[in-house]
Amino acid sequence: MKLIKSIVRPNKVEDVKDALGKLNIAGMTVTEVRGHGKQKGHPAVYRGKEYNVTLLPKMEIECVVPDGLVDDAIRAIIEAARTGEIGDGRVFVIPVLQSYRIRTGEQDTM
Amino acid sequence: MDTSTGRTDQSARQRLLDSARRELIDDARRGRGGRMGVERYAGRVDAVLTSLYAETPPPARSALVVAVGGYGRRHLCPYSDVDLLILFDGPIGPPEERFLRDLLHPLWDVALTVSQQVRELSDFDRVETDNAEFLLALTDARLVAGERALFQRFTAAFRRWDIQAFLFDAILRLTEERHARFNDTFYQLEPDVKEAPGALRDLSAIRTIARATDPGMLAVPAPVRARLDDAEDFLLRVRSILHAETQRNHNGLSHELQEKVSQLVGYPGAQPRHRVESLMADYFRHARAVSRALDWTRMTSPAPAGPNVKRSRDGVDFVDVQQAARHPEAWLDLFQTAITTGAPVANAALTAIQHHVSRYAAEEFFPSDQARRALLTFLQPRNGLYARLSEMHDCGLLGRMFPEFEAISGRVIRDFYHKYTVDEHTLLTIRNLERLASATTPSRQRFAGLLADLDTPELLVAALLFHDVGKWRDDDHAEESVRMAQQALDRLRMPDDARDLIEFLIKHHLRVSIVAFRRDTEDPEVVRQLAELVGTEDRLKMLCLLTLVDIEAVSLDTLTPWREELLWQLYVDTYNQLTLRYSDELIERNQSGVSNLFATRPRDISERELSTFLEGLPRRYLRLVGREAIYHHVRLSRDIQPLQVHASLEQKGGLWELTVVTLDHPFLFSNICGTLSSFGMDIVKGHAMTNGHGLVLDIFQFVDRERFLELNAGTQANGRALLEHELTEAVAGRSDVAARLRARETGVLHRPSAVATRIAPTIHVDQHTSRRYTILEIVAGNRLGLLHRISRVISRHACDVHLVLIATQGQTAIDVFHITRQGAKLPEAEQAALIADLHDMLEEPDEVD
Repeated sequence: MKLIKSIVRPNKVEDVKDALGKLNIAGMTVTEVRGHGKQKGHPAVYRGKEYNVTLLPKMEIECVVPDGLVDDAIRAIIEAARTGEIGDGRVFVIPVLQSYRIRTGEQDTM
Repeated sequence: MDTSTGRTDQSARQRLLDSARRELIDDARRGRGGRMGVERYAGRVDAVLTSLYAETPPPARSALVVAVGGYGRRHLCPYSDVDLLILFDGPIGPPEERFLRDLLHPLWDVALTVSQQVRELSDFDRVETDNAEFLLALTDARLVAGERALFQRFTAAFRRWDIQAFLFDAILRLTEERHARFNDTFYQLEPDVKEAPGALRDLSAIRTIARATDPGMLAVPAPVRARLDDAEDFLLRVRSILHAETQRNHNGLSHELQEKVSQLVGYPGAQPRHRVESLMADYFRHARAVSRALDWTRMTSPAPAGPNVKRSRDGVDFVDVQQAARHPEAWLDLFQTAITTGAPVANAALTAIQHHVSRYAAEEFFPSDQARRALLTFLQPRNGLYARLSEMHDCGLLGRMFPEFEAISGRVIRDFYHKYTVDEHTLLTIRNLERLASATTPSRQRFAGLLADLDTPELLVAALLFHDVGKWRDDDHAEESVRMAQQALDRLRMPDDARDLIEFLIKHHLRVSIVAFRRDTEDPEVVRQLAELVGTEDRLKMLCLLTLVDIEAVSLDTLTPWREELLWQLYVDTYNQLTLRYSDELIERNQSGVSNLFATRPRDISERELSTFLEGLPRRYLRLVGREAIYHHVRLSRDIQPLQVHASLEQKGGLWELTVVTLDHPFLFSNICGTLSSFGMDIVKGHAMTNGHGLVLDIFQFVDRERFLELNAGTQANGRALLEHELTEAVAGRSDVAARLRARETGVLHRPSAVATRIAPTIHVDQHTSRRYTILEIVAGNRLGLLHRISRVISRHACDVHLVLIATQGQTAIDVFHITRQGAKLPEAEQAALIADLHDMLEEPDEVD
C-alpha cells in the first residue's frame, strides 16, 4: 500500500482524476498548494516593474493505492499531467504502514 | 408729526425713540424689562421705521424693510443693535441707492445703532456660505415695511432645503465654537447673558434648529415651554438692566452688576451677598433649563439632507411622506443621501416605500435623463452601497425598479458551492467590490488598484446587479442574464458604449474563472485568446474584478489566496499581452469584423482607401475604436501631405479627445505631446499608431485643468482653432515646442511640489515579446510635459516611435513605446545609452531641455 502524492498544474486536476478513475482509484484528496521546483518560479513584469513569482499555484492530489497498482497509477498521473514544459510538477510515492476507517474502526486491507 | 404734510419730522422721531427707550429703561430698573418690555420697545422702533419708509420716495424696484436677528424676534433691549435687511426686487441702481440714503441717514441721526444688510432677491438663488451669521439672522426675518407678497417670495426662496441644511450645520458649528469660548459650562460666575452657554443665544439656537429642521419640535410639552419662557423672560430682564445701567450694549453680568441687578429685580436678603446668591441661583436654574433643551434639540433634530429628505436619529427619512408617495422618481435620492451621510434609511421611510411601491411600474422610477444619471451615480462602488441596495431589496423597491432582479428574489440553487440565495449572492458581489476600496492585505490591494483605475466603476456594479438574473431558470444562465439585462438597459436608455460594456461583462462573467482555474494559463495561446476576447485593458480589469468578487460571494471559503494568485497571474499575463504583444498582431482583411467594416462603409470611402488605411495597423485599433470613428479617421487621412496635420477635438465627459492624423517624421510624437502640454493639458490616456504607409494616428485623452478650451470657446481667439493651429506649426517644425513648454513648466503651477510623494521612475526594456520592436515600458510620476520629454529623448537617439500606449494611475504615468532604429530593434549598446539618457531625464525633473 502506497501513498501517491502528486503536485500538478491546476488545470490538470480533472485529467488526473479521470485517469485515476479509469484504474478504479476513486478515493483521493485534492488540495490547493503553492510552491516551486528547481526553477524557483519565474520572473514577471507588470507595468514596467520586474518581480519574481516564486510560489506558483499548484494542486496536490493524494491517493492511497495497493502495491500492485502503483506503477499504473504513477503512469496515469504522469501521462495526464504532462505538458512537456517546465512546471509540470512531481509525483512522490510513500509507503503506508496501516490504514483505518474512522467510521467503523476497521483496518484497511488493500 | 407735521399735520399739514403728514410727515414726521426728525425731532419728533427722536422724541418718539427717546421716550420708548426711556420707558424700557424705567421698566428695566423696576425689574420689568422682560419679554413684554422689549417687545413693546421693538414695536416702537417698528413704528418709526414704518413711518420713515412711508415718507421715503420709493425706489425703482420694490423694497422691503425686514427686521432680522434679535430685532426680528422683537428682543430689543435698550441698546441692542437694530438688525435690518433691506431687500430689493431687482438690481440695485442709483434710485435704490438714493432710497437707502433717505431711509438710513435719519436712523443714524437719531442715534439708533442700525446694522443693515442690503440684498437683491436673486442673491438668495445661491447659498451665501461665507456669511453664516447673516443667514442665521434671517431665520428670524419679520416684515416691517413693504409688500407682503415680496416678503413671501423672499421667505419661500429662503426656505430652500439647501439653505436650511447649511443653516443647520452652521448653527451647530457656531454654537459649539461659542460654547468652547466659555469652556463648555454654563456655571459662569460672571456670565454673559447673551453669549454664554444656557443664555439668550442658546434659546435662539433652539428655535433656529427647529425651524431649519422640524418646526414641530417647537411644540414642546407645556412644562418645558413654561420653563423656557421663564428663562427667556428672566434673561431679558437681566439684559435690559445691564443695558440701562451701563448705557450701552453690555451683556456681562459682572460681580458688581450682579449686586445692582439683584437689588433692582428685588431679590430678598439683608446683605447684597444674599441677594446676589439668590439671583445667581435663579440664573443657573434657567441656564440649566436652556442648556438641556438645546442638547435635546441638537440630539433629536432631523438635519435637512435633500429635497424632502431629512436625516434624523432613525436614519434618512422623508420630510413629507404624502409628497414622497407621489414622486417615486425621488426615492433613489433617499438611498443616495444615506450613502453620502453614512446613515441607514429610516424604517419609517422603508415602510412608506413598501406601502406605495406596488403602485408604480419600472419606468416610473427613471422618467428623466436626470433620474437615469442619478442611478449611475448611486451605483458607484463605495461604502454603504450594499447596505442601501439590501434595504431597497427588502422593501420591494429594487425588484420593482428592476423586475429582472425580482426574478431571482429568494432563488435557491442547490450545489456544493453556493451558500446563499441568488439575490443575496448578487448583492454580496457588490459588497465585496465596495470593500475592495479599503483592502488592507497586499494581495487584495493589487485588485483595489484595478478598481481605482476604472473610469466607470458604476457600470461594473450594473453588470454585477444583472449578472445572475438569468438563474431564475435552470439552464445556462449567462445568455439569459444578458437578455434580461437588455430589457433593463432599454428602460434606462443606456448609451450604446455603456450598454455594450455591461452586456459584455454579463455574457462573459464566467470566462476568466474558467481560464484561470481550468485552463493552462502558462500556454501563451490561452492568454492570447483571453486578450482577444476582452480587447482592452479596462474590460480586462472589469472582468477580473467581477470574477474576484463573484467567487468571493459564493461562500466564505471560496476565494482562497491560491485562487487569488492564479487570477492575478492571469490578469498580469493578459495585461501584458494587450499592452506589449499587440504590435505583432496586425489587421487582416479576412479577420472577423473587418469584412463588416468594408460592407457598411459610407459611399465616400472606397474599398481601396479603407484597405490602405488599415494596412499595417494593429488589431488593437479595431478593438479600441468604433466603426464610425474609423470612417472618421479615414476621412482625416484623406489626401494628407507631408507636414500637414488633420486633427479633430471632441469632449467626452470630463475628458477631451484629440485625434491627430499626419505623416510620420522625426520628433513628431514629441512635438504633438509638447504642444498639448504647452496649453496646460494633462494627457491621461492615449494611443499612437502607425500604419504601413507611414500614416500616423494619435489619439490623446486629456484633462483641460485650466479650462482653456472652455474659457476660449466661441471667442474670437477660439481655443480649439488656436490649439489646432499650434499643432500644425509644431508638426511643420515652425514652432519651438520646447520653448513654449518651458514657460509653462517653470511656472509655479507646474513646478514639482517639494512635499509631494516622489514616484521612483522605472524603465523596462523588452527585446523579446515583439518580433519587430523594442518595447520600452516607462513608469514615472506624472507631470506636465513628461511624454514630450520621453519621446524627445527617444527621437534624439534616432529611434522611430511606432506605437505608444499612454495610461495614468493616480499620479503615476505608465507609457509603453514600441520603437525601432533604422527599421530594426535597438542594438544592445544603443539600448543602454538610451536607457541611461532616459533615466537622467526622469531623475532630474526640473531640467528643461
